[in-house]
Amino acid sequence: MKFLGFIIVCLTGALLLYGTGEFPGWGDPHSPASIHLSNDYIEKAVEQTQVPNLVTAVLADYRGFDTMFETAVVFCAGLACFLLLRDFKEKKERFYRHTPTGVILHVKDSKKVLKTGKEFEHMDKDWVPSDLIIKTICRILIPFIQIYALYVVAHGDFSPGGGFQGGVIFGSSLILLAISYDLKVLVKRVKEKILGIFAAIGVLIYVGIAAICMPMGGNFLDYSKLAPLVPGDPHHIRALGMLGVEIGVGIAVTAVMVIIYINIVSEGRHEEGL
Amino acid sequence: MDNYPALIVITPLLAALLAGIAAWTEERLSYPIALIGLAVSMFAAFKVLMQVITSGTINYRMAGWAPPMGIEYTIDLLNAMVLLIVASIAFFNLIASYKSVEQETSDRAGSFYAIYLLFVTGLLGVTATGDLFNLYVLIEITSLTSYTMVALGDRDRGPLASLNYIFIGVIGASFYLLGVGYLYLKTGSLNMVDVANILSGLHGSSTILVAFILCMLGIWIKMALFPMHVWLPNAYSYSPVAFARIVAPLMTKVMVYVMIRLMITVFGLDYIFETLNLSEAVVWLATFAIIAGAVMALAQKNLKKMLAYIIVCEIGYMVGGAWMGNQLGMTGAILHILNDALMTFALFLAVGSMVYKLKRVDFIDLKGLFGKMPWTMAGFVLAAFSIIGVPPTCGFFSKWYLILGAFEAGAYHFAAALVISSLICAVLFFKVFEICFFEPMPEGHGHEDSSSHVAIEEAPLSMLIVSGLVSISLVVAGLYSGTIVNTIILPFLQ
Repeated sequence: MKFLGFIIVCLTGALLLYGTGEFPGWGDPHSPASIHLSNDYIEKAVEQTQVPNLVTAVLADYRGFDTMFETAVVFCAGLACFLLLRDFKEKKERFYRHTPTGVILHVKDSKKVLKTGKEFEHMDKDWVPSDLIIKTICRILIPFIQIYALYVVAHGDFSPGGGFQGGVIFGSSLILLAISYDLKVLVKRVKEKILGIFAAIGVLIYVGIAAICMPMGGNFLDYSKLAPLVPGDPHHIRALGMLGVEIGVGIAVTAVMVIIYINIVSEGRHEEGL
Repeated sequence: MDNYPALIVITPLLAALLAGIAAWTEERLSYPIALIGLAVSMFAAFKVLMQVITSGTINYRMAGWAPPMGIEYTIDLLNAMVLLIVASIAFFNLIASYKSVEQETSDRAGSFYAIYLLFVTGLLGVTATGDLFNLYVLIEITSLTSYTMVALGDRDRGPLASLNYIFIGVIGASFYLLGVGYLYLKTGSLNMVDVANILSGLHGSSTILVAFILCMLGIWIKMALFPMHVWLPNAYSYSPVAFARIVAPLMTKVMVYVMIRLMITVFGLDYIFETLNLSEAVVWLATFAIIAGAVMALAQKNLKKMLAYIIVCEIGYMVGGAWMGNQLGMTGAILHILNDALMTFALFLAVGSMVYKLKRVDFIDLKGLFGKMPWTMAGFVLAAFSIIGVPPTCGFFSKWYLILGAFEAGAYHFAAALVISSLICAVLFFKVFEICFFEPMPEGHGHEDSSSHVAIEEAPLSMLIVSGLVSISLVVAGLYSGTIVNTIILPFLQ
């Protein structure tokens, strides 16, 4: 069986090499990929879409339909993680730290729940984060990371950036909260329900903006038909549409990042984990 | 309203998102939302089919950009037909599956419906699109959702089956993507029609040959053509009923559609059959697939597994027909997409009802089932006759075209394999009928805790009605297959 696998790998490699024989040269300005469509995009995109960033113009307008489904893929990943990993059964054992003394309590009875607050602090079984330096630094950093994430989302149509990147940065700021404190803190601040709803709403913003174009008399995704709905310069309507879409992507990606993280680290219990 | 082509794909997506929101707020709304979404999609698909039949191919530009720049939906007779099949089977399966979903995934039913709708969106999008990369993105959605739903099935074996499916499925999808990459390198375009125009001047290129091989291999892996079928039997038999009933009739058939689309629209039949002359090799491969699928089906002791191997065998029919290199074979393959979708759906509807009542469908569990579930079994028998190819049912007619095509191409081995596999199917199904009809149902139905066991009785009405409708459609599709061939398939091929 191993030998057979080896032969298949060799054959595939040979096939791929054979295919490279007629590749256009490296960086060839006359290769089909450089002359067939690229020139049209480079010459017309700014004029047609009023967006200075060509990548965004292709991603969110010319091929915006693909990007919409990529966002749906992200949503799908979050949904899959929830469906497969989420375990609604509560754990039996719990650990608490008595904050003033640092004594750790091990509660084996699942019905006995200590009230956490000033006196007792919930803690994980195999994760004892009480490092003041880490906590403080992360607490200071997180708001800046989040503002940066918002900038990245908002700059999607003007400079490098966009919903996917901004969403990942925002999501990682929330994950940093879970790592520096513990998972409970994050789960308490950001409810599972909110995450689930926001993941869907993010994609819904995208699909919604695209779908409104249809009753306005255009094709699906044709942002230019939204002009009567939005005050301001109708020339910039495509850029505005892309911004709206990017915001939707950002929301969806943020929510899905956190859903995936929480479910994987806590084995779906949302109680404790890295 | 000229937006029907977009609506076919967009309404299930919108419904999936709304169902996803409802899952967290008002879970009992998810089911009606899903139902409405699919009903609208089915209606739009019907409208589009009618429009295509009367006034020809529809081109729908996403965002209004002209084709090579933007993404276009190109809906001709072939995909209009497949779209209607996909949308209606998804809709009727949802009606039949309400109780099964309640039984199997009650605590997260809302999210289940969302992922079900996303799966349907993927299948519809794959079928509707006229863009090679858009096709890949939607294959990705279809695959992700099906991995998830397989893993949700059997508690012990579902996750492992899903893992195998992921490994093989990802390889298939990457092959396809790599093939598209090679094509882009030589053509600079992703629109199918545009690529086809540029390709006509590049027939001798080795890069195009490799691109073609990679695309075909990827799609074959995805459709589980023997010997790339290993993921299919476990994935289909350990998945939840609601999913097994839709993935079995649709997934492989949509992939066969993609293969035919790539062959006819993108690479062109001249290139495949005259420049490359690959027909004979692939027809042999299909012959092996048919025989292997039938023989492996013989070895099974579980009804779902047996049906899964019969699907492997049916894929051989369609691939062989499409690669025969003549019009009759292609007609048979396309007609078989419709017929096989219907009969596999009918079979899995019946099996789903059995699983709903019995939990397990090993052959020993089926004893005496005719007496207990007469209507379900009636549907099962009719579907089985169609798979075997008994005349008034639709299975006969597509096999007829396939055999005629094989004779015309001189591929007698393929015709022989087709007949042999039909005989093996007859043996298989009569074995099942015998167990269900003659052997008495054992006390307590073979389970040790007979006290807690609910008495076996007929399946819920929702399943029976859908099962009845589909069974009737088997005969109707058979009787009208001449009309279907003359109004849809032949005009498409010319």
